[in-house]
Amino acid sequence: MEYEAVIGLEIHAELNCATKMFCDCSNRTGDDPNKNTCPICLWFPGAIPRFSEEALEKATLTALGLNCTIQERSAFDQKVYYYPDLPKGFQLSQAHLPLARNGWLDIIGEHGQPKRLRIHKIHMEEDVAKLVHETEGRTSISLVDFNRAGVPLVEIVTEPDMRSPHDAMEFIRALRTQIRYIGTSECSMESGTMRIDANISLRPKGTDQLNTKVEVKNMNSIRHLGDAITYEINRQTASLRVGEIIVLHTRLWDPEKRATVPMRGKFEGPCVPDPSVPQIAITEAWKKEMHSRLPEMPSQKADRFIKHYALTPEEAVMMSAERDLSEYFEAVVRHQISSRTVTHWIATQLLPALKERNQNITDTPVTSLRFSELLAMLERNEINANAAREVLDYLFDSDKSPADLVEHHGFRQVSDTTQLAGLVDTVLAENPSAVSDFHKGVAKAMGFLIGQAMQASKGKANPKLIREILTRKLDEDKIIDRNLH
Amino acid sequence: MQADVFTYRNPSASAQQGPLKGKSFVIQPNMSVRGWHTEAGSVALKGFIAVEDATVIERLDKAGAAMVGSTRMSELGLGLHGDTTGLALSGGETDMALMTDMMGEARITASRIKTYGFKPTSGIVSRFGLIGLVPSMECFGIIARVPKDISLAMETIASYDDRDFSMYSGEMPSFSQVTKTAEPITTIGIIKECLETLDEGETRAFRNGLDRLKVLGYALNDLCLPDFDIVGTVHHIIGSVEASSSCGKYDGVRYGHRTAAAVKNWNDMYIKTRAESFGPLIKSYLFQGAYFQFENYAAFENASRIRARLVNDLDGLFKKVDAIAFPTGRRKFQAAARTLDDIYHECSLTLLANVMGLPAVQVPGLVLDGNTDLGLQIIGSRLSDARLLSLVARVSNTAEGV
Repeated sequence: MEYEAVIGLEIHAELNCATKMFCDCSNRTGDDPNKNTCPICLWFPGAIPRFSEEALEKATLTALGLNCTIQERSAFDQKVYYYPDLPKGFQLSQAHLPLARNGWLDIIGEHGQPKRLRIHKIHMEEDVAKLVHETEGRTSISLVDFNRAGVPLVEIVTEPDMRSPHDAMEFIRALRTQIRYIGTSECSMESGTMRIDANISLRPKGTDQLNTKVEVKNMNSIRHLGDAITYEINRQTASLRVGEIIVLHTRLWDPEKRATVPMRGKFEGPCVPDPSVPQIAITEAWKKEMHSRLPEMPSQKADRFIKHYALTPEEAVMMSAERDLSEYFEAVVRHQISSRTVTHWIATQLLPALKERNQNITDTPVTSLRFSELLAMLERNEINANAAREVLDYLFDSDKSPADLVEHHGFRQVSDTTQLAGLVDTVLAENPSAVSDFHKGVAKAMGFLIGQAMQASKGKANPKLIREILTRKLDEDKIIDRNLH
Repeated sequence: MQADVFTYRNPSASAQQGPLKGKSFVIQPNMSVRGWHTEAGSVALKGFIAVEDATVIERLDKAGAAMVGSTRMSELGLGLHGDTTGLALSGGETDMALMTDMMGEARITASRIKTYGFKPTSGIVSRFGLIGLVPSMECFGIIARVPKDISLAMETIASYDDRDFSMYSGEMPSFSQVTKTAEPITTIGIIKECLETLDEGETRAFRNGLDRLKVLGYALNDLCLPDFDIVGTVHHIIGSVEASSSCGKYDGVRYGHRTAAAVKNWNDMYIKTRAESFGPLIKSYLFQGAYFQFENYAAFENASRIRARLVNDLDGLFKKVDAIAFPTGRRKFQAAARTLDDIYHECSLTLLANVMGLPAVQVPGLVLDGNTDLGLQIIGSRLSDARLLSLVARVSNTAEGV
């Protein structure tokens, strides 16, 4: 029998709010252990949680950006379990009345077909503390860092619409792009600001039943997510083939063994309405305000780039996929540089240069202003492409303007035709064999002669003019030749 | 006597300037005062010293009240066993007491020492700094010998506090000169189903009290509240669930008691710590709560539904009357109530106000049968606190109190 995988994801994304969800402590988890704590997030007796409006705003923006419907009424529940990472014996989460329902994201399926994947619900919850288990001699010691306790999260629960590792990975890529665009979370699996649990089950292909699922955790990159799902599909397929029954449980992805290993039976604690955090009632006016705060999303932006800047669909998607990059692109275009030149130079020169230097578009010294000055000189033919590439290199290490750098390093392009004609005459005189090759119809000879001329100009000659002059002079040669014969 | 009554006696309790100058208060050791031992009668909080003042304490302090000290209390405020608030008052140690009222404790304590007790509407007094057990039903209650002192105290402590996000954020009742400003209560209801739960002696005493109200000019109306006999069950289910959650924080990780026994790992530490932290009564309450959380959530949902239905029914009743009368205490109660059944019986006439979040007041000297004074309890509609206090002043024999 052929099996088909049914995959659903639960994604926790940390919201980049200034404070924790129920107190004023800083939302900075990297600080010294237990620095960002107070009687509320340490849950001292007598403390009362105070819900942060910023958390509600950022959760709402996230949900709107993922095409969800914000619920008029939502509420916090206590998810009860006892573990040292939970200072109060329960986690405040929205189990019964989530903030938002019914969203979706579009991806491109494995065979190039567009595919819409549905989001079941999005709810808010507080993060738990971080545990470090150590042993001192033979004594086991558990250390708790409460800096993360109470950090605002959204949990995004998808419908089981995914059928392959590809679907799941593409969904997460699309989700990450959307959320980074909205600007409410960094969504980094590597640093733990986005954590994903994958629920995987199998069924005979062509049926629509939902079988017992297995939950897989601990993937810290999109690639690991795909690998873990692939492994789990193979593992479950093998189990079913030998007639084993799939049991509901949780497994951990072990990146070293490249396998999922069983962790525990799946635990579902009770969820009881919390008596201290009031219900959240959302008004139409507030919802409208949140809508107005949503930025232009990538697909809309790509459409606009095609229309306004005459980019090809591929270029438009590339320039709009990340919000920072798209804003950089538009800032450069606004300086009257042709949009195609900007796209080409960002894609082929700037991005690789940034990658090489481990910089990103927001913190690089090559600001959109300096980059546009450079491209403007290129477009005005003041420098040639070679020089522009070299100036770009200098821009990373110098705070001089591109014009100063061009002047300082003598990159200004030579376009004086008399000067260039002299140069070409010298090259022709020095390379008689190349000239005769050219006349014999050896195509490479032209390129060689241009190269020699550029070299003689120390790269400063306008290559277009060099080619024109060379062509003209060689043609003249031909005429002279013919006349002689 | 002092040592038996107080867990902490404030060495610097002195009158300061302010509207409460010259008024003294005792509190319970589950109310946070920075630097005071705040053990809430439980091993779970052994050695715990509060790090911040409760909002109520801060406000009383600012108003010039003298804070005498902390009484003894039952473990985490469940039941009245071992509580010395009444003793502090009858022993003349204080003018007023703050007492946690989660099912009627302040009113019942007041009725037993024949004085005045008050439970405000939920959400008008900040719970910040109250080490509670059942957040949706408990509040600071006030016991006083002089009715107008209650208004004075309420004027000081009742108003919005942004540290208690669960508070009511609308307009608060005004407690200034309640007898002049509050709309008078004229009609008082009696719930038929409540009368059915009273024994002969209780009925006699309550009838006497009602007669006095009639003489004082109040119109009495008979009312029906079919769910009255299960209000205790509703409280018990919701209360035990909330208590179970509230006590989740006592794990020995951050404060309070931690087991001294050798432990294998954190889980073992948890289990041993929690086993040592609670007495048998609280333990059985927490077990019941955990049972409803883990094994019988449907019962909790039913209790919540009945609670919602009661809110509707009472809204209906308050369209017919201004307030509803009950006796406060029961004639038969165990002085040392040691089981949950005992506790729920002794609070069976007061816990309705806690389940509903309604204001209620206890008045002495009216519900009498011979020497027995069960106390008259009047429950008002939401936010009718000032009207209730104005009624107390009218029906009391003396403006100076008892």
